[in-house]
Amino acid sequence: MTDSAVSPPARSLRVAIAASGGERIAALIDVLQSLGHEVITGDERPDVVLADRHPPEKGRYPTLVLGGTDADAEGLLPENAGAAEIDAALRAVAEGLIVRSSRARGPAFSAVQEAEARTLLTPREAQILDAIADGLTNKAIARRLGISLHTVKFHLESVFRKLEARTRTEAVAKALERRREDTINL
Amino acid sequence: MAQELNPLSALSDVLVARFAAARDSVAAVRLSQRAYLGAILWQHDVLVTSEQSLPERDALEALLPDGSAVAGKLAGRDPATNLALIRLDESVRAPTLSVSIAQIGTLVIAAGSDGSGRPSARLGMVNAVGPEWHSMRGGRIEARIQLDIRLAGSEEGGPAFDAAGGWLGMTTFGPRGQILVIPATTVERVAPALLAGGRVPRGWLGVALRPVAVPDELREAGAEAGLMVMSLSPEGPAAKAGLVAGDIILSVDGTPARRLRSVLAHLGSESVGKTLPLRLIRGGAIITVEATVTERPTT
Repeated sequence: MTDSAVSPPARSLRVAIAASGGERIAALIDVLQSLGHEVITGDERPDVVLADRHPPEKGRYPTLVLGGTDADAEGLLPENAGAAEIDAALRAVAEGLIVRSSRARGPAFSAVQEAEARTLLTPREAQILDAIADGLTNKAIARRLGISLHTVKFHLESVFRKLEARTRTEAVAKALERRREDTINL
Repeated sequence: MAQELNPLSALSDVLVARFAAARDSVAAVRLSQRAYLGAILWQHDVLVTSEQSLPERDALEALLPDGSAVAGKLAGRDPATNLALIRLDESVRAPTLSVSIAQIGTLVIAAGSDGSGRPSARLGMVNAVGPEWHSMRGGRIEARIQLDIRLAGSEEGGPAFDAAGGWLGMTTFGPRGQILVIPATTVERVAPALLAGGRVPRGWLGVALRPVAVPDELREAGAEAGLMVMSLSPEGPAAKAGLVAGDIILSVDGTPARRLRSVLAHLGSESVGKTLPLRLIRGGAIITVEATVTERPTT
């Protein structure tokens, strides 16, 4: 093993953003800065371009696209990709690799689901689940929501039953999955 | 030479003949240097393909069954029924498609394009047929047709034929890798409107919703489930009507929100401009607001 095989410290990348909408661009800048990357503009030469589903132009630099189905893009992640995923993909794309998410199961034209009232969470139960996802203990959840520990446990039991989950982690994972499938745009 | 033809060879010969007859309506759309999508030569200058797999661009290149490339332009896309139309720059020879209705057990030849844009074929069977259904995007599909085959990515969007050469519809990927067919009757209904207008107008409220259970104390008239507002499009009809995140919609124009299909039916193309009363829970009370439906933006 030579020294060069030792993994170097994470390098800060120079990233250009190709997106439309001020809000969206600001959000992407936030993500990039929190990851320690440098956001560049204008004529500067980026290591990689972070583009939205509809990039304004086809660049000559390696590009990571969020959302969409652009088969030509070097990197392709779902629209709702997390910061860690974006970081890993940016670095891979900058190194000349092709990146696809294993979460993206490809296109799936699906039917609208009729809600099954029996297994739906109440807004309160959803709040408690969010708190679990944040890593809170039952006591901390009670404090956050201003309810008794007893009530938290009562709701939790119902959440576990509805999601058919045995552990807190399983409940969070199942709820996330469901949320992805359940959201309806009218 | 008196060699007797065995039944398997006879079947094979028929399949070869069927595909030869069908292949003139099989085309491909170039997605990138190395990726293609299946398509149907629906009219002499119009291709039909799968909307969900077609990148958002206006200029497209099609590959015809004989291998020649023809430039084309996007003529319309309808995510609700998963149909996209491409108008070719030149007229080409296109066989007439005769619409056929799928039944469980119907033998199916599904055509698409192989990895380099040339026609490919799969043999399968109609695995299940269901009644009319509504997609997540709010489109009405005349029948739910499911096949028992697998398709490569480049084979999606091609035509499916029955044993007599009748056209069943367009293949597409459904959930969990299922292969669905958008019925030819749906294509024949939607495509002319798409060609004329570039889109199928659909009612829009501008709101992202998630089904939730309604807390016991707020259940009115058996409404066990509602739709909680997760986010609103700024300037959308729901936002203009004063809806806020966290509101739980109980009914839309009197239709219980849990019956999503019926709610979607309230947002068809004729709903644009109509005012719909929305019953909702806000801060523990039940109130009614009125939202004026506008046309769903294209993206």
